[in-house]
Amino acid sequence: MAGSALRRLMAEYKQLTLNPPEGIIAGPTTEENYFEWEALITGPEGTCFEGGVFPAKLIFPSDYPLSPPKMSFTCDMFHPNIYSDGRVCISILHAPGDDPMGYESSNERWSPVQSVEKILLSVISMLAEPNDESGANVDAAKMWREDREGFNKVAETLVRKTLGIPTSK
Amino acid sequence: MSTTTAAAAAKMTSTTAVAISLVLSSCVVANAFRQKKQFYPSVVYICKSNPSMAIMYMQALVAVYLIGKLTGKLFFGSLRPAESERLIEKAWYAVTETCLAFTIFKDDLSPKFVALFTLLLFLKCFHWLAEDRVDYMERTPVISYIFHLRIWLLLVILTLGDVYFVHDAYTTTMAKGPSVQLVFGFEYALLITLAANAAFKYVLHAVDVHSDTFWESKAVLLLYLEFFIGLCKAVMYVVFLIIMVRTYTIPLFAFRPMYHTLRNFKKVFQDLVLSRRAIHNMNTLYPDATLQDLQAIENVCIICREDMTAAAAKKLPCNHIFHTSCLRSWFQRHQTCPTCRLDILRPTPLTTQNSNVPRPITPTPGRTAQETPSTEAAASSSATDNSRGPSTSNPTHVSSNQAGSSGSSYYNQTPLQYQFRPYTFQQRSTSVDEINGNNSENSNNGIPESNNMNESWIAFMNAAGIGGGIGPSSLFNDMPQTSTNLPSTNIPQIPLNLPFVGGIAIQPPNIPPNLDTLSDEELRLMEQNTRQGCLARIKYITDIKCMLDAAVVMMNQYSSACLMAGLDSTDSTFNSETKTSDTTENDEQLETRPPSNISSETDSSTGSGVTSSSSGSEDQLIQEETEQQRIIRLKRLEKFGSNST
Ligand SMILES: [Zn+2]
Ligand SMILES: [Zn+2]
Repeated sequence: MAGSALRRLMAEYKQLTLNPPEGIIAGPTTEENYFEWEALITGPEGTCFEGGVFPAKLIFPSDYPLSPPKMSFTCDMFHPNIYSDGRVCISILHAPGDDPMGYESSNERWSPVQSVEKILLSVISMLAEPNDESGANVDAAKMWREDREGFNKVAETLVRKTLGIPTSK
Repeated sequence: MSTTTAAAAAKMTSTTAVAISLVLSSCVVANAFRQKKQFYPSVVYICKSNPSMAIMYMQALVAVYLIGKLTGKLFFGSLRPAESERLIEKAWYAVTETCLAFTIFKDDLSPKFVALFTLLLFLKCFHWLAEDRVDYMERTPVISYIFHLRIWLLLVILTLGDVYFVHDAYTTTMAKGPSVQLVFGFEYALLITLAANAAFKYVLHAVDVHSDTFWESKAVLLLYLEFFIGLCKAVMYVVFLIIMVRTYTIPLFAFRPMYHTLRNFKKVFQDLVLSRRAIHNMNTLYPDATLQDLQAIENVCIICREDMTAAAAKKLPCNHIFHTSCLRSWFQRHQTCPTCRLDILRPTPLTTQNSNVPRPITPTPGRTAQETPSTEAAASSSATDNSRGPSTSNPTHVSSNQAGSSGSSYYNQTPLQYQFRPYTFQQRSTSVDEINGNNSENSNNGIPESNNMNESWIAFMNAAGIGGGIGPSSLFNDMPQTSTNLPSTNIPQIPLNLPFVGGIAIQPPNIPPNLDTLSDEELRLMEQNTRQGCLARIKYITDIKCMLDAAVVMMNQYSSACLMAGLDSTDSTFNSETKTSDTTENDEQLETRPPSNISSETDSSTGSGVTSSSSGSEDQLIQEETEQQRIIRLKRLEKFGSNST
């Protein structure tokens, strides 16, 4: 019998295709491997990331949903909670007890109740409201705090890049 | 030269390197033949010239790399990107650590050493890939026969190779004394554990794939496997460390993997112990979900997103329902409720050090309503749609259903259960909303959830006994809350129950803890003027109150038994008397009233009116005192509630 992780991922995929939440497209990269997903996330409206379509990949552990997946953006990102290599650092992606930043409460941590959909929605809200206490990208956090104009400019170039529009100068 | 080749190989931009090395080495060979014309002299010529030798070494490395690729293709087919990523990362660590090892074994540095090291790295890569492939079995819906064949062959060859090299290292060390062979022997011994791990996992996965039903104990077996492999590794590292320190020096290069191994082992050990406890708790204490329970929620297990049947699902003390098997595997990671994070091992924490258990419930309902359960908070903060998240909508469904169903069957219940209602498990659960839901429901109906409550009471008593680390005082964590919502539900019940209770054994109340057993630290904590300390003190007081209540109940029972046995004529009047009086009083008075009735009853043969009234007034006096104390107590509690907000 197929593993419970596989069945749950299939169920989530079905749910996401039948009933897609706004601004999110996600699914397995290939039909043979349900443990590697691609996702497209649109930048939330009214923020500096508005209009962008950001590709990301999700890698699921074989004991999913007991352990959280790993998520990273595959495009260039500049955001306080995203490492420069694209890895996303939000509490929903960390199991309770493993705390890279030391400030998160266990309430927002991973548990089987969470799902791909919730992760992606959390990422969207993270794009809208960065948590500048997190040190995933110190430069971005500093810029977000002190030079919002500059941050918005960088975000705009990123958005243009994802859409394939040359930067206006 | 060799390092550049290795780096190039690692970057997988190797085809050019291979070509260059081929061209170079053929140039060298051609050059040698041109000069010496014969085979032997040309070999000697190449061996004597350093540049030629370097090129030949490089060529050998390239050859090894090509062989590696070929065998890899043979055993694994094409690698997935994630696999090669992991492989390169691990190989990188292995190379750097071996470079550190070089510093200790400077004297042994020779072509043979480099060759052995390359072979080791080579085999290591295959072990890692084999592990990855075995894990991959769980992830793919289709597994071909060729896959099984490959894994089998690979594991057998790897194990044989490992055993051979360990043996080789052992004999050389015994014959020639300690040398770099120590490190090789140790590394290969570690690889044996790796291969064994992969083999066992493969067997487990293969059995699972071929069975038609869900194999429940697989997760447990995997955890045990991890434990034993971890144990073997930890022992090996310690032995290796001791040998190395005695013969050479501290093996710095082994520290990183050793640290990881020991930490992993510790975690696995903890998981094993805690999950065993949690699973034991689940099996013995928590009831199977009933059909009503399942109908009330969407009937979907939130862990696996599949439907539940009543036989295969368990209800946790917080009323959340999951598959038994799903819970079992989750408890191997964390011993909490997946939805509300109630700690399964200690439902009511007394100490606040454990930060991942939600705070105790505060007495005033107005305040508790503001506190949302953790997951809901998380969900709303992450802008999730609440309508679809079952976690948010379930609890109220569950509670309302239970209240309704048990309400209808209330009159069939054994009497006297209500007395323990204040101390039941549910009010200790962390999901505040549920409790409020329950309580408001109860006060509306005037009917308690006796059945459910009684079950959880038993479960709770057991939990206190089994849980070990739970201080008895923690049992009554939320007593104050109960006093605020008791009266409306309880009053009408005592007269109904009393005449029938003779001979029915009641649940023993919790015995207040022996203060001698408290540690100094706990006592200090209690003495503090903090919220914690005060709560703990209040808990002890409520424990004592519980005992007193129980004594009163016993007296009630006794007197009613007397009534039923001998004094039939006065029975009805007594009952009606208590009924009318009790409904007008609150629960505190109710507890003290029965003794006055008993005295009036015993004296009823003579001038009963006078004695009963006098004893009644005495009682009233005592009652007023306790009432005052109670008001003070409640006031203090309310203060705490407002302070903490
Ligand atoms: Zn389930
Ligand atoms: Zn729960």
